[in-house]
Amino acid sequence: MSKRTLPRLLQTPAVILLLLWMLVPLSMTLYFSFIRYVLNSLRKPEWTTPALSNWRGFGNYEYVLYNAKDFWFAVQNSVFIVSSILILTVILGLALAMLVNRSFPGRGIVRVLLISPFFIMPAVNAVLWINMILDPVLGLNGIAVSGINEIVAGLKNFPVIGAFFSMWPEIVPMSFRATQTSAYAVIIMVTWQWTPFAVLIFMTSLQSEDESQKEAAILDGANAWSRFRNLTVPHLARPIAIVVMIQSIFHLSLYAEIEIVSRGNGNKNLPYLIGEFTSNNIGAASATGIFAVILANIVAIFLLRMVGKNMMD
Amino acid sequence: MATVSQKSKFGDVFWPIVAWIIALIFFFPIFWLIFTSFKTDADAVKPEFLFSFTPTLENYLNMTENYDYWRFAVNSVITSSFATLFALVVGVPAAYAMAFNPSRHTKDILMWMLSTKMLPAAAVLYPMTFLTKNFLGIFDTHFLVILVLCLINLPIVIWMLFTYFKEIPKEIIEASKMDGVTTWGEIKDILIPLAWGGVASTALLTFIFCWNEAYWTVRLTTTEAATLSKLIEGNRAPEGLFFGRLSAVSTAAVGPIIVLGWFCQKQLVRGLTFGAVK
Repeated sequence: MSKRTLPRLLQTPAVILLLLWMLVPLSMTLYFSFIRYVLNSLRKPEWTTPALSNWRGFGNYEYVLYNAKDFWFAVQNSVFIVSSILILTVILGLALAMLVNRSFPGRGIVRVLLISPFFIMPAVNAVLWINMILDPVLGLNGIAVSGINEIVAGLKNFPVIGAFFSMWPEIVPMSFRATQTSAYAVIIMVTWQWTPFAVLIFMTSLQSEDESQKEAAILDGANAWSRFRNLTVPHLARPIAIVVMIQSIFHLSLYAEIEIVSRGNGNKNLPYLIGEFTSNNIGAASATGIFAVILANIVAIFLLRMVGKNMMD
Repeated sequence: MATVSQKSKFGDVFWPIVAWIIALIFFFPIFWLIFTSFKTDADAVKPEFLFSFTPTLENYLNMTENYDYWRFAVNSVITSSFATLFALVVGVPAAYAMAFNPSRHTKDILMWMLSTKMLPAAAVLYPMTFLTKNFLGIFDTHFLVILVLCLINLPIVIWMLFTYFKEIPKEIIEASKMDGVTTWGEIKDILIPLAWGGVASTALLTFIFCWNEAYWTVRLTTTEAATLSKLIEGNRAPEGLFFGRLSAVSTAAVGPIIVLGWFCQKQLVRGLTFGAVK
């Protein structure tokens, strides 16, 4: 056995498995996206089995782009949800990481409390938030708002200040089950879950910051803001890029949260739209799937350019 | 930071308090989930019992009856453990070879493996259903769930192990070769002790990812191999009627994993950033 054979042999199973996992289903999707293929059709029973004779060319793509009213909405919503989560988690993550990056009593416990949401399974996360916290009647949202309303109603009977409070309208709790608001609910719950991840990464990175450089800056009379601006921010550029990249990978395929929060109310992202098509129109589902792959690749190429080069160091 | 914080006494007191408050806010939903799990379904939706109520274990005692909890839990344990095991069996040799005998393609292979992670699962949903249902007949089996969980985590496993193995100084192994240590001896006495920590934390993290996976485990199972994700997803209680029992089963589903997670915070950074942040 030559020196090169053994290492190659050791890598082979992993490479073959991943190659099959990537190529087989994806090439099937590609094939289905070019044929007419539905699961139920009384009028055209021949369309219910995948066959080359049902070739449709780019017909499915055209259908998805021009006729399926939800496609652009789903793309827009995917981008909206992902970018909102990214912005919120990066800002919150930076703020919290700075806050915890100093020693104080109980810091270990604070860290444990902060990181916990990350380990919640997505299904539990969604059920917990949409039912017990955000529900406008039974959740804490509803209970808090009706509590405030009661207090205001009580204050109306007082002399003098009563006149002021009687001008207050009754507050109506926000419902998170409508099309647009359920997207907010998804953003809230995923931000809650992923901020800890950003905190962890920024914290790890802050700890490796060069302290002597900072002290030199203090001696030179640099104020806190300019130290943050000129030393900390450049140091954090890479971790920020990594947080953005990894979260994009995960959130572009967000599914369980949308399924639980928004089933049937019209709010959807690309994976959810594909799921809807899959209940009958496989051709359209596959074409949408290819669009999703393209979108993911654009994001991936863009982000890997940003961070990929020095990832191996 | 030390020099900075010594300057202001006010900040020394103020910022830790802010940190504590924010940490408590972040933990609050989990606390609320656990708290609600000790209320009866009727009490859980009554504002007058918001904080004062008679705690009950009823929800936990009836978990089997209400949700068949243990069947799903056992499925989760089986699929997550075996998927982790298989991912390690395939991943350890691969990462070992890449770290100790890198070729000029190693970087490309690693990058390509990472790129399989970026393939949106939904894009191949129907082919996977079609293949496993009509073609292979393994839909809704433990085998399928284990296979898929293993495959989706394999890139992360290899990346993590690679970063750990790369830190083992090659000189140690070369020196041992000079001393005439056999290959087996090299593995047993040098590699395993040095790599053990890395492999263990990779396993822990992979197990957590498998346990929490919520796309394939939901879409590729019906009853036989359904995991806890599927159980919760199927009982989302849109009318809020079963807050008590739903909280109990959710707590039971996430509790063990949160505790496991506390133990591997540090590894989480490395695992999720593919070794780019340490």
